[in-house]
Amino acid sequence: MDKIFDFILRVGTIDRRWIFLIIGLAVLLPLFFPLGLPIRATIATQKVYDAVEALEENSKVLISFEYGPSTKPEIHPMAIGLLKHLFTNGHKVYVTCLWPDGQFMADDALEEVAEEEFNLTYGEDYVILGFRPGNEAVVKGMVSNIRKLYTTDARGTLVDDIPLMKNINKVADFDFIFSASAGYPGTIEWVQYASDPTGVPLSTGTTSIMVNDIMPMVNSGQVKGILAGMPGAAEYEALIGSPGIGTSGMDAQSIAHLVIVLFIVFGNITYFIEVQRSKKY
Amino acid sequence: MLKDKEFWLVAGGLSLAFILYWLLGHPLLNEERIVMLLVIVIMSANLIYYTRFAKKGGEIFLREIPGLKAVEEAVGRSTEMGKSVLYVPGIMDMDQVETVAGVIILGHVSKMTSRYETSLNVPVSRSIVMKAARETVREAYTMEGRPDLFQDDMVHYLTDDQFAYAAGVNGIMVREKPAACLYMGKFFAESLILAETGNSIGAIQIAGTASQSQIPFFVTACDYTLIGEEFFAASAYLSQSPELMGGLKGQDMMKAGVTAAIILSLFMRVLFDLGLIKWNIISILTVQ
Amino acid sequence: MLWKRQIPILIATVVGLSTLFGWFIDHPTIESFVNDDATQWYDILASFAIFLGALNLMKLQGKKVLKQQSGWQYSLFAIGGFLFAIVAGFIYKGNDAVDWGVHVTSKGTLFKWMFEYIFTPLSATMFALLAFFVASASYRAFRVRNLEATLLLVSGIIIMVGRVPLGSSISSWFIMYLLVLIASITVNIKFKDKKITFGTLLSGVLIVTIWGSLLGWPPDQPGLFYLPVLQDWIYNNPNVAGARAIMIGIGLGIFATSIRYILGVEKSYIGE
Repeated sequence: MDKIFDFILRVGTIDRRWIFLIIGLAVLLPLFFPLGLPIRATIATQKVYDAVEALEENSKVLISFEYGPSTKPEIHPMAIGLLKHLFTNGHKVYVTCLWPDGQFMADDALEEVAEEEFNLTYGEDYVILGFRPGNEAVVKGMVSNIRKLYTTDARGTLVDDIPLMKNINKVADFDFIFSASAGYPGTIEWVQYASDPTGVPLSTGTTSIMVNDIMPMVNSGQVKGILAGMPGAAEYEALIGSPGIGTSGMDAQSIAHLVIVLFIVFGNITYFIEVQRSKKY
Repeated sequence: MLKDKEFWLVAGGLSLAFILYWLLGHPLLNEERIVMLLVIVIMSANLIYYTRFAKKGGEIFLREIPGLKAVEEAVGRSTEMGKSVLYVPGIMDMDQVETVAGVIILGHVSKMTSRYETSLNVPVSRSIVMKAARETVREAYTMEGRPDLFQDDMVHYLTDDQFAYAAGVNGIMVREKPAACLYMGKFFAESLILAETGNSIGAIQIAGTASQSQIPFFVTACDYTLIGEEFFAASAYLSQSPELMGGLKGQDMMKAGVTAAIILSLFMRVLFDLGLIKWNIISILTVQ
Repeated sequence: MLWKRQIPILIATVVGLSTLFGWFIDHPTIESFVNDDATQWYDILASFAIFLGALNLMKLQGKKVLKQQSGWQYSLFAIGGFLFAIVAGFIYKGNDAVDWGVHVTSKGTLFKWMFEYIFTPLSATMFALLAFFVASASYRAFRVRNLEATLLLVSGIIIMVGRVPLGSSISSWFIMYLLVLIASITVNIKFKDKKITFGTLLSGVLIVTIWGSLLGWPPDQPGLFYLPVLQDWIYNNPNVAGARAIMIGIGLGIFATSIRYILGVEKSYIGE
């Protein structure tokens, strides 16, 4: 028994680079050999889906892209899933970006969904207003007068010349807001300055880390559901019946989480053995 | 600070002016937000009262905050090992209260490093923070009588981008191996990257942030963490200035008031839901 | 002294009080100042201040290269990257069909190429490091030292496993059998009696087996032991309660700190 304990203690003091290697393999292998684990939507994700389903046809939806390349794996799948859901239901999409990186992400998402998959017309079915600096001042500006903030869209076309922008002058003219957010400025600013004062319903998709900050607002009803990280994106893809990157990442995330749990358990076993030995000697 | 008589004259004058304004029909005032205005006035009055109380010599008890006690220990450790202190004031700009609080704590840390002649490295993520932090450090070194030890390059700009900044700070940690790493400010996802790298080089790490989602990462990876309000209390704790300590006491009393208000509101809402009263307290507490 | 002390404090007080009390005034000019102008003035200042930071960066990196200080080779990358971004942003478009300004996000431009093939992989790599660091931090830090640490550990494991599809594939009956095993180990440590331990294990297994057989072994019942349900409950109840409490405390801290700055009580940000 002592030899087993010695071995466990020796393994417990391994260089952390071995841990990194094992985690790397735990993430990589399921991507090549998918397990196809079933995905079950949580209540928070279902609320987002129901909020979008409840929109009347031809609703005007404002989507704000507040993430960059670093958080793209978590949030881009939810943005793509949402766009597919909105275009399938025949809604009009208006895109704004509070982060400069967000505009690149928005371009990618709309190219993939609006142009390639749905073959929609820019200016009639969707429009990208683009990035404006100013953080929450942009949100406040949009609440009072969009045209003061956006004279042209992201492609340089005058906003007054875009058919879809007819009768759109402020946030209250939209039927729904969705914030795809990875930090500041993001969901909290949209709730504080846009959704709460105007009463326009808002849903959000955020990184897993940020969910804690937003959950109180979801529970109080200020935010209509939340897509929580990549699991949230995968759940939404399952609900709309269009599995994508979010779904394919869940096998890897599942195995990685399991490996981390096993590391924690193993770490505690070594801790107990150390404590027992120190008591003994 | 105003003397008692002057203070009450000013306070009385302002109150009278507001009463007159109200009686004259309060033009331009957004009535829907009057409750919030009253709350702000009451809270501010509370803060001012305790600040004056402390300034006049009133005793204020401040509990021990291990993280702040450890700051001097961390600087001392760096001095003994002949290595530098790395100070990271967050990744946001001076428009965030946490960043300002971080820069203020930097001033106190700079006094210690100048006293012990320890080198200080402050990589920043924003240009305005660079200027503010530089002035703070310069002042601290001058006040300690060691302006000769101060160099402009102690506080230097890296980049605005979050992860590029994290990469830059990690590079500094791995190359220069500071003995103490202090993270005081607003952080996002890069917090664990910084803290784990600091852990790998064996540095003593003290973190302070009001970014709720990053607190668990700092608690896990750092030796000491200032959680939420402890971070805002740091300035008062380190300076032991009566005004700041009074402000801290006022803050605690505000918290007691808010707790009482929550319990009272809960009780009144229950009565409303049961139909025993007709008045919905939520309607006046909702901010328009 | 006036320029370095009184005037900055006066500016902070006047602008702070204006934006604070301006929110209560129902006047378009004041509302516009509070909602738009005040924050935009700061953004304009910060935008011009970028030159200070950039010059500082170039000065330090250039000094390192010229004096061939330790690690000067990395500084070449920093300077090269900076200059490349300037060229891509202001000098060479790469696609003459687009205008300046929109060239930043248009296809075929050098800036877009730089964003897609240099900035994006680098950003993603740095964020991906978190996966490794979370694993090593968890391994090192999650120890059953006391009751609070045990609660943290157990709830952390429940959330980690329950949040992903793997959690919904684990039957609640498996968790119950696992709990019976853990209870038996605990009993063994406490009483050190084989009979009691065996009795605990046997009775636990029997109860779970009979219960499962009666219900037909549904994987998500009883809900108390089904990880996704447990995870949801922990997330929405104790977690949100704690989060709310910390948020209220932080909010009050921010309010008190801001009032101190506005009233000039706290002056350390401009030096003492």
